[in-house]
Amino acid sequence: MADTEARTAREEWGSRFGFLMAMLGAMVGAGNIWRMPFTTGENGGGAFLVAYILLLYVIAVPGLMAETMIGRYTNNGVIGAFKQVFGSKRAQGLGLVVLIVNVALMSYYAPIIGWALYYAGHSILMTFTQPGFQPQAFWDGFINNPALVIGMHTATMAGLAGVLVFGIRRGIERVVKWMIPLLVVALIAVAVRGVTLPGGMDGVAFVFTPDWGYLTRGSTWVAALSQALFSTGLGWGIALTYGSYLSRYDDVPLGGGLFTAIGNTSVGLLAVFATFPVVFAFGLEPSAGSNLLFLSLAEVFPELPGGGLWALVFFVSFFFATFTSGLGITEVGVTTVSEETRLSRTKSVLAVCGVIWLLGLPSAYSSSFLGQMDFIFGSFGLPLATLSIIALVAWKFGPERARVIDLNRNAGIYIGSAWNPVIKYVIPVVMLFIIGYGVVTSLGTENQQLMILGVAIMAGLVVVSTAIMSVIGTVPEKNAESTTLANGGD
Amino acid sequence: MSLSPVVWASMILTIIVLPGVASVVLVKSLRSEERKLTLLKEQDQIDSYSPRALADLREWIEKHPDDPYTPVARDRYNECVETLREIEEPYYDWSEAEINQLQTIDK
Repeated sequence: MADTEARTAREEWGSRFGFLMAMLGAMVGAGNIWRMPFTTGENGGGAFLVAYILLLYVIAVPGLMAETMIGRYTNNGVIGAFKQVFGSKRAQGLGLVVLIVNVALMSYYAPIIGWALYYAGHSILMTFTQPGFQPQAFWDGFINNPALVIGMHTATMAGLAGVLVFGIRRGIERVVKWMIPLLVVALIAVAVRGVTLPGGMDGVAFVFTPDWGYLTRGSTWVAALSQALFSTGLGWGIALTYGSYLSRYDDVPLGGGLFTAIGNTSVGLLAVFATFPVVFAFGLEPSAGSNLLFLSLAEVFPELPGGGLWALVFFVSFFFATFTSGLGITEVGVTTVSEETRLSRTKSVLAVCGVIWLLGLPSAYSSSFLGQMDFIFGSFGLPLATLSIIALVAWKFGPERARVIDLNRNAGIYIGSAWNPVIKYVIPVVMLFIIGYGVVTSLGTENQQLMILGVAIMAGLVVVSTAIMSVIGTVPEKNAESTTLANGGD
Repeated sequence: MSLSPVVWASMILTIIVLPGVASVVLVKSLRSEERKLTLLKEQDQIDSYSPRALADLREWIEKHPDDPYTPVARDRYNECVETLREIEEPYYDWSEAEINQLQTIDK
């Protein structure tokens, strides 16, 4: 009865559209807007897209189905899901690993949202079209002013807390339902403007001219693999957490898997259309990375007719993309803390946002520290978190059991048994490969020490987390049979 | 600059398999929710597995009678069969003959 009450009290998404936009918003972030365009350009254009799309459908889509499914099945956050499926205290340490990686990621992602907020704010003030505007000086003036950057970081975390405190339906869902459609419309508008610029089609030709020779290079496939896995948000715990708020009648494979992965990549493609025509029309460097956004595009928007408006549309939509990702990443911690402690949702939001704010101060203060955090947690933390979550379904729950009992339940599409080996073997092997590749390619480079530190931190994280949860973790009160029955969404 | 046929083909194919598929999935998902809500309003319950998915579930239960998750699977199977017998309009593509052939699984 207690379980029934708890389940009834647990919030659910208000609408299918709200859930889909939340998933899309969480997965579409800075990586899609600035990384996908130049990764595509650097790796053979159309050839890279072929490799990327193939890996997206074969690996990312099934993986996201698994993660969302285990969230809906357990109706729990990351630690609760491990608790329920493994039924052991020590195994909950893997849930703690996912949680810590998430908090660490968010600690350096929050300052980036702050950058986007700063540029969005100035685009509203029409700063970029002021006479004598200098993009490099503007950027330097911002990034070298710790008070300003920390102020933006603080405003970001306050904004995220302000939304999250209202919960899933009245907080996250209410915001993403308009932010994500606006983001898509804004990117389409900028894309249309870009391709109609003189020379804009050169950018399209650059991206979509397939250089098939790239398909024989290992680096192209590794780049496609990283982009397909990490830009879709697989294994971050977000799909698990958002999936835990689905109702029993909701579909998992169609929305949680297919739409999330493909929709997320579609936004990345829109970003390609939105940036590359402008880049080529103005003769900018296509592989400029983050500088492409904050320096190059800030420089060219004022030169467009109605440039102030285009800058506003682009930078505000970029802020929306990063902010909605911030909501998803932070919610992983909020859900888990509110479930595993006696804190109310409001107190959990304040605690998690407060910790992220505090841990984010060094990244806000120093861009090079931010880069090191990104290297350590992006290269080793994320694969470890993904491996942990996939292990839940692949090695403990079992893919066939997951598929027949829950994945195909109320599903919009039927998932066949070909899904099983992808979950059980392909994704874990790919994750181990990515970790190994990160180690090998760092040997003998300036990142070698950072790599050793990263591997040591991750190994330590697993050991310490399992040790901590062995002591403070709790086992499910009921046996596996009744617990799974109670939490199966019936 | 005019684009070559290969570029056009590459671009159009990418648009079809990414935003094209995403748009179709979005529409399909929203329509499916609408239909489920309508059926739930009319009947208070809907079938939760398609014919193929329910057959998979039955096969798995029969192959794994001692699995710790079998009671959950059996309950879900039986619930779906009973729902199909009670409701007038199934959500999935069930025929009358298929429903009549279904049997619940005893513990």
